[in-house]
Amino acid sequence: MSLQLTKSKALAFSLPALIAILPFLGACFYIFRFSISGEQSRIEGFSIQPYVDLMTPYFGRSVWLTLRLAFIATILAMMMAVPLAFLLTSLRSPFARRSLTIVILLPLILNLLVQAYGWILLLGPSGVLNSTLRSLGIIERPIFLLFNETGVLLGLVQTSLPLAVFPIVSSVRGISREHLEAASSLGASHWRIFFDVTVPLLRPGLFGAASIVFAFNASAFAIPLLLGGRRVQMMGIAIRDMISPLFNWSGAAAAGMILIFVTMITMLFAAWLARITSEKVER
Amino acid sequence: MRVDLLPTEGGGTYRFVIILLAICGILISSLPVIVVTIMSFSAADNTGFPPEALSLRWYSEVIAMFTTEDANSAQSVVSSTITSLVVAVIVMVISTGVCIPLAYVLARGDRRIRSGMELLFTLPLVFPLVILGIAFLLIAESLRLDIGIWRIIIPHVALVLPFVLRNCLSAMSGISLEVEEAAVSLGASPLRAIWDIVIPMMKAGILAGLIFALIISFNEFTITFFMYTVDVSTLPIWMYSRTASSLDPSTLALSVFIIAADVVLIVLVDKLIAGRASLF
Repeated sequence: MSLQLTKSKALAFSLPALIAILPFLGACFYIFRFSISGEQSRIEGFSIQPYVDLMTPYFGRSVWLTLRLAFIATILAMMMAVPLAFLLTSLRSPFARRSLTIVILLPLILNLLVQAYGWILLLGPSGVLNSTLRSLGIIERPIFLLFNETGVLLGLVQTSLPLAVFPIVSSVRGISREHLEAASSLGASHWRIFFDVTVPLLRPGLFGAASIVFAFNASAFAIPLLLGGRRVQMMGIAIRDMISPLFNWSGAAAAGMILIFVTMITMLFAAWLARITSEKVER
Repeated sequence: MRVDLLPTEGGGTYRFVIILLAICGILISSLPVIVVTIMSFSAADNTGFPPEALSLRWYSEVIAMFTTEDANSAQSVVSSTITSLVVAVIVMVISTGVCIPLAYVLARGDRRIRSGMELLFTLPLVFPLVILGIAFLLIAESLRLDIGIWRIIIPHVALVLPFVLRNCLSAMSGISLEVEEAAVSLGASPLRAIWDIVIPMMKAGILAGLIFALIISFNEFTITFFMYTVDVSTLPIWMYSRTASSLDPSTLALSVFIIAADVVLIVLVDKLIAGRASLF
């Protein structure tokens, strides 16, 4: 008897998984179909009106805010992710390595509400920072770091950091120490080695990690909802408002399509950037 | 001279800056969780820092919340915790159940089909959660589906599939066709060879996938925020509605239980897949 994988066996084995992912594919199609519907509250006919209606200064500001916050959060996360990846790969003790992994990974997985509580306790008007500064006599009135862009930025950096660290860790593992030793024996300083050897070697991994972090941050919803209050209208929140008080379902679907489009363009751009810059290095 | 990415001696400003940035990262990751844990032991009614006295009163309050009957049972913490757990367990069983046979086929079959399917099953990972929540809400509302708890289970399954499949695939990668051939030559049927030989060998990866699905579903907020109803609501939604106006210390004590459970489960996954696969 042969153990060859027959077509029917392969199909029977993959069918349950395909059925499980079908609702997701249906949801993707449904949101696209709704975004070109002629009616606001049901699928009826075809129209590009939902997209035309989005061309308002209000929605434009929301897109700009989303891109700006996601970009700044990505830069900040990358600046901390590279040192963390170096630290994680150079730790010798398995216990220290495991603890650091958990500390970095936890924010991505833990219930976002718990983390929002933490930020409120830290930075809120009567939080740790404000009461410390007040007791030291540095400030008289509490400084507001939450329910504005600062709070959202901190939350975004915290939750997206693991998405940056772990891909960079695997590219750091791929760097051979000989490159670094060669540069060092030729007299290069630590900074020179970092910018001229390490970063170019890491570049594909860096672009990959940054594009995932950016896409994750641009489509954030819970963080701006919990830490931004009503003033930070990132796209996720703007889309929710179209659904919940306004019942403009086709508009929300169209705004969602624009969000997907923006994140896809960014990821393609990052892949292209990684390719042309690595070609330059080879030459 | 030994050169490393993180110099152990000397290194001047380079070493200083790298370590400083790493510490910033660690602080940003861990401070919120640490503060929540400290404040949950406070004896005071408010959330002023530092706590003037320590006590376990908020923990006994949490236990009281779970043990005493709440008149308003639809919104009670007990029923939303039960819903959360039931959803997470069903999601875990379904997603792992469908991923094991798929991982088997992908590992044994055509390379091109494998990369295509892997791409398909990674999509839920990069798709914005808000859009997914809204899409599932629009489907459920416009088709007027009344499917109870399944309105949360179905989206959660889609969400965890990428993680579970990746774990099952890496568990399959070390299992060669020869072990199955050996079983068949000794008289086992091909299905029996899979059930008795391959699946036990995949055990660590399957367990890691199960736990991953459990953690993600139990902590999920965004999709559930759109899909919950008065009858079907999970623990994160309950916490959100309770603390929408102000923060009360008993919720912090409840949070510490969730943090502890998550840490234990992550440690378990990390042990199970140690050295063989990355967490992503």
